[in-house]
Amino acid sequence: MDYAWDFSAIVQYRGLLLVGLLNTFKLAAVCLVLGLAFGLPVGLMRYARSPWLNWPATAFVEVFRNTPVLVQIMWFFFAFPIISPFDINAFTAAALGLTLNTVAFSSEIYRAGIQSIAKGQWEAGKALGMTGKQQLTRVILPQALRRMIPAFMNRAIELVKMTSLASVIAYGELMHQAKTISTIAFNPIEMYTVVALIFFALIAPPALAVQRYEKSLERRG
Amino acid sequence: MTEMLRLEGLVKRFDDLEVLKGIDLTVQKGETIVLLGASGSGKSTLLRCVNFMEVPSGGRVHLMGEPVGRDGRGAAISYSERDLVPIRARVGMVFQHFNLFPHMTVLQNVMEGPRTVLGLPRSECEARARKYLDKVGLGWKADAWPSHLSGGQQQRVAIARALAMEPEIMLFDEATSALDPELVGEVLDTIKELADEGMTLLIVTHELGFAYTVADRVLFLSAGRILEEGRPEEVLLAPREEQTQSFLRGHGRFRLPETPAQEQA
Repeated sequence: MDYAWDFSAIVQYRGLLLVGLLNTFKLAAVCLVLGLAFGLPVGLMRYARSPWLNWPATAFVEVFRNTPVLVQIMWFFFAFPIISPFDINAFTAAALGLTLNTVAFSSEIYRAGIQSIAKGQWEAGKALGMTGKQQLTRVILPQALRRMIPAFMNRAIELVKMTSLASVIAYGELMHQAKTISTIAFNPIEMYTVVALIFFALIAPPALAVQRYEKSLERRG
Repeated sequence: MTEMLRLEGLVKRFDDLEVLKGIDLTVQKGETIVLLGASGSGKSTLLRCVNFMEVPSGGRVHLMGEPVGRDGRGAAISYSERDLVPIRARVGMVFQHFNLFPHMTVLQNVMEGPRTVLGLPRSECEARARKYLDKVGLGWKADAWPSHLSGGQQQRVAIARALAMEPEIMLFDEATSALDPELVGEVLDTIKELADEGMTLLIVTHELGFAYTVADRVLFLSAGRILEEGRPEEVLLAPREEQTQSFLRGHGRFRLPETPAQEQA
């Protein structure tokens, strides 16, 4: 096999790639922040005894966990504007799909994390005279969040990878920019190799850091 | 005498299971009451109804002379969380498994109640926390983490944490049951000191010798009722009820002899 690798076009179009990289960051950051922020209330609703809180949250989580993200993004881009009065651009559609997906998964992380704290901790706070909210914010969450960090990091890594799905609705993130460049310069082999390397460079360091953190948690017991 | 606690016909049900079947009890200020009974007799549930960790299903609880809860329709009494939260702050509780907050130092554990619940200034909370840590003999451990303490020390910190709220009644729910035998004494000493100082105490314990020493009154519970009640020497040394007698026999089955046995030749 004597294929002559030629990366010159990629150097030439590096501006387009940089835009894609920034858009990938932007999409991932927005979805991560919103997803984690709304994941907590949804997770707490799943923990609630009242069916009025519990049932809608459960339905939401199951719908978004059990459908492909690609379908969700396509749905928000093509179907949502027809059944709603809003016009929606590619960024908003992708952000909606990925955020709601992140809410669904992170709510489960919150729920599992909170449930992993011994019942006696709630009781100790309650016996001191704390309100339910104080028990949660002063006693439970500070302990639970520490245990949730690895799971959240994995979610963040997953999210960065999933942003590439936004290329199907022509949002100009890394993958979409690469597709554009490879069409212009006829260099799909080099181009997608470089995209793979960029994603790897983005994701590998935090992924390794998580593994280390998990090991240190195990050691601490 | 000031009445601190009065239970009138207290009933507690969990679904179909009736754990307390009508408890009447009055506790005066400074009294030490020990609750005895087999597991499942309802003694822990009784304790947990006093500070409303569990909400009673029937009957009435009076704390510091005031009835708790509002009269609802008919005989039912309604309890709102908003009313119960300040009551819990006035009744201290110590648990079998300590339940210290592992993400806080010893000092922070003891400061937490005054700070978060009472909203006192930080400096005052710290002064209070140090005072009660000194009282349980652990002032020198203020900056340690709970996980670095022995079980006995953890339980003494838990006692200091409850005391820092300056409660009017203290509840001890099998406070020494999870401890290694050699650590039981230091916790019992701490509780006895509180009893001697005139704190009102309700204690669930299996330490009969301690009950005998510290109690003003001993209650024996069986199947959700107070079966026998009296001064410690009455209930523990001359029990009237067959069930109390067999409970005490079970506890005293193996004893060390008073004098060492002669070595076999």
